[in-house]
Amino acid sequence: VIHHFLDVANYTLFFYYLSGNLAYLIALIIALKTSAAHQRRIESFRLRWITESPLAPPITLLAPAHNEEKSIRVSIRNLLELDYPELEVIVINDGSKDRTLEELQDEFKLRPVRMVYVQEVPSAEIRGLYRSDSDPRLLVIDKESAGSKADAVNAGLNAATSPYVCIVDADSMLERDSLLRIMVPVLADPKHVVGVGGIIRILNGSEIEGGQLRRVRLPRKSLEVIQVIEYLRAFLIGREAWAQGNMMLIISGAFGLFRTDLVRAIGGYRAKAIGEDFDLVARLHRHLIEKGQEYRIQFVPDPVCWTEAPSDLKSLGRQRARWHKGLLDTLLPNVDMLFRRRYGRIGFLALPYLWVFELFAPVIEIGGIFTIILAAALGDLSRDFFIQFMIFGYAFATVISIGAVLQEELTYKRYSDWQDVARLVTYCFFEHFPYRQLHMVWRLQGLWQYMRGDMSWKPLERKGLQSTTAP
Amino acid sequence: MASGFSILHRLEPSAFVFEAIVGAIAVDVLLLAFILLRRSYRMRYFRKRDARVFELRQQWDALISGEIPYETWRTKSFDRRIIEDMALDAFEAAAADQSARLLRFLRTSGLIEKRIFEARKLKGWRRRSALVALGRTRAPEGIPALSEALRDLDPEARNAALRGLGRLGSPEAAEEILHWLAESGVNVPVLPLQNALINCCRERPQILLSYLQLAGPQLREVLARVLGEVASPSLGSELIGMADDELPELRAAAARALSNAQPGHAVEVLGELSRDPVWFVRLRAVVAIGKLYDTAAVPHLINALTDSNRLVRMRAAEALVDFKSELPSIFSQVVKTRDRYGLHAFLAALENGDLRKRLDAELRQSAFSDGERDLLLAVLSIGKLVETQVATKSQPIETATR
Repeated sequence: VIHHFLDVANYTLFFYYLSGNLAYLIALIIALKTSAAHQRRIESFRLRWITESPLAPPITLLAPAHNEEKSIRVSIRNLLELDYPELEVIVINDGSKDRTLEELQDEFKLRPVRMVYVQEVPSAEIRGLYRSDSDPRLLVIDKESAGSKADAVNAGLNAATSPYVCIVDADSMLERDSLLRIMVPVLADPKHVVGVGGIIRILNGSEIEGGQLRRVRLPRKSLEVIQVIEYLRAFLIGREAWAQGNMMLIISGAFGLFRTDLVRAIGGYRAKAIGEDFDLVARLHRHLIEKGQEYRIQFVPDPVCWTEAPSDLKSLGRQRARWHKGLLDTLLPNVDMLFRRRYGRIGFLALPYLWVFELFAPVIEIGGIFTIILAAALGDLSRDFFIQFMIFGYAFATVISIGAVLQEELTYKRYSDWQDVARLVTYCFFEHFPYRQLHMVWRLQGLWQYMRGDMSWKPLERKGLQSTTAP
Repeated sequence: MASGFSILHRLEPSAFVFEAIVGAIAVDVLLLAFILLRRSYRMRYFRKRDARVFELRQQWDALISGEIPYETWRTKSFDRRIIEDMALDAFEAAAADQSARLLRFLRTSGLIEKRIFEARKLKGWRRRSALVALGRTRAPEGIPALSEALRDLDPEARNAALRGLGRLGSPEAAEEILHWLAESGVNVPVLPLQNALINCCRERPQILLSYLQLAGPQLREVLARVLGEVASPSLGSELIGMADDELPELRAAAARALSNAQPGHAVEVLGELSRDPVWFVRLRAVVAIGKLYDTAAVPHLINALTDSNRLVRMRAAEALVDFKSELPSIFSQVVKTRDRYGLHAFLAALENGDLRKRLDAELRQSAFSDGERDLLLAVLSIGKLVETQVATKSQPIETATR
């Protein structure tokens, strides 16, 4: 029995690994094609002309902030300086225990206002509303903390007055033309496009001056560089390809644009959701499919949001465990969408992919490692074949990673320094061991925590957006 | 019992796996080589381009005036692209006298002719690029080529042509777009279309009227929005006629356009429109009344403050607080409506305009009776109606800051 079990397990692992990589290879080919088309398209789509249009749809930026005293001045100034003709910025001070509100008051000359606030979507109690005297486009909501970003965004959603809301992290940094770029799909098809995601990139290592990115550099720490490759792969390949089939299920909470009425119609963010961004998009798909509406949720690879990534194993592990908890927390309530004709390709392709190649990945891969070790111990493992399989898997996965770097090189070229590109490519060869295995352990921890009912989350330690110069 | 790997081995998987390894490694190497080669090529290209841009910039006046013969550079595509880019960038930022000189240069050097040729003969992104560049020149001779591209089967080419015509911003370009719309209907995204028409119809909005009468519902809606943006007082009587149209978009456009008309009759018409059954018509009407800034509009705005739509209430309140010298009397009328939502909207607008203290001071010095003054001051201070009738809908949360 044990021999038979090992046979099946090893087969499963082999085909699982092969099909996962093949899926990514197909995604890479799709992404290369669509990115090139997008690049060509944007050349004839002069962004500056949008700023001159009297019909550019207004956008409300929602920036929840919790204990962000170090970076709040810079990041909100950064948001107010974005190029867009009709902009409202709502900062939600989510029960900060530090000086976040005072910093905002000092910097933007806030004064308390009494204004209409209708609680259309549920959120914790509002303590006060403040309007800036130095920039009337800025509104600050001071609220009690409910312990989730979702609740803070909901408060902002209630106060938003624009047809589109763009959710950003208060500790992230948007490139100046990001809103113009993220609006390109909306302007091209406002009837059908209900949500657009932009790309998140890692800020660590880059030079910042006065809240603006002065020079993009690759981080110095290996752990951070590997995350850069991960992000490139996830956004420039994964999301680009899934969005082509209107199957994108995640728009990052750090930078995403949605139609306000639709987000309100589905009750805003689910306050208890662990992965609130994923949960929102999944519920949007469900809502629109059930209503029989034609819609598109798109990804645009050039509006960039820069964010700080964890720089130590402990923080990264916590982040990844939480992401995996969030994945399970969203997939479970939507299990009824699986393989139902009504939900089309979301039910037949996107969700099954997430179940098999994302959610179960740590179980299958770590289980696979054990069965291989066991097979080797019992003498059931062909050593030659095993080594060949490992080399093949390694080379194949490296193709995908280098493909992500290639995609970056062909299109957006944010890393202008030779050294950075050389390091980026070099790390494509080193991320598979032991980082990948460690990643699987963190994800497995996430699953275990979820099953134990441990939904707690410690926020990551941030250095903030103070001016830095790369050494 | 043999393991799965051994079975695969017996089936000669080694050969397959070995080939796969070699293939994957070869792909890795090829990708790496491609990245490195491309990077070094681009580095050299941009270095060369930068140097050339610098050289050409030094000779810019001689280039523009034709002192350096056009033949010396226009046959070299590398130089031609740089010069065209520089000229178009300068043209878009130039004052009237400079732009005339640059346009003359673009014409006499044959750059416009070249782009017209490309817009007609090339395909794909090269054609789109030519179409947009033609628009940037704002040269009327580009109109026929742009107009032809509007009828292209490729939607991206149509969009580029539309953007190009929009950039031209002339009534002739508007005629071409309108003629094409009448012929083929709306088969491009609505927003770029409206933008293009707004740019082109500003000078002569009358050209929209004849098309408005003949167009189908979808096109009428688009044209109505454009008219709302570009209408001028000269369209007065036509606008008033449109205020009775059955299409709400057209009534909304009329409302928007009437904000540019002379107050007087316009206030009356807008007052009617502010009671329209469709919310966005009321919204446009309220915004337009506010822009007229006429005291005759105050009763209509007070009425709009009790509207069932939140946005209408907000805009009415914003318009009302603009009548700064009338604030006490307006506030008194707002309180008399006994509408909680209206009062909240008014107070929010007052706070946003930082006018609360001013109103407080003016109320204290006003000629109201003591009782009324005290009531108004109390309402202003606590932000609630005293002895109010409670509204039945979801209640706005009181957010006065402590």
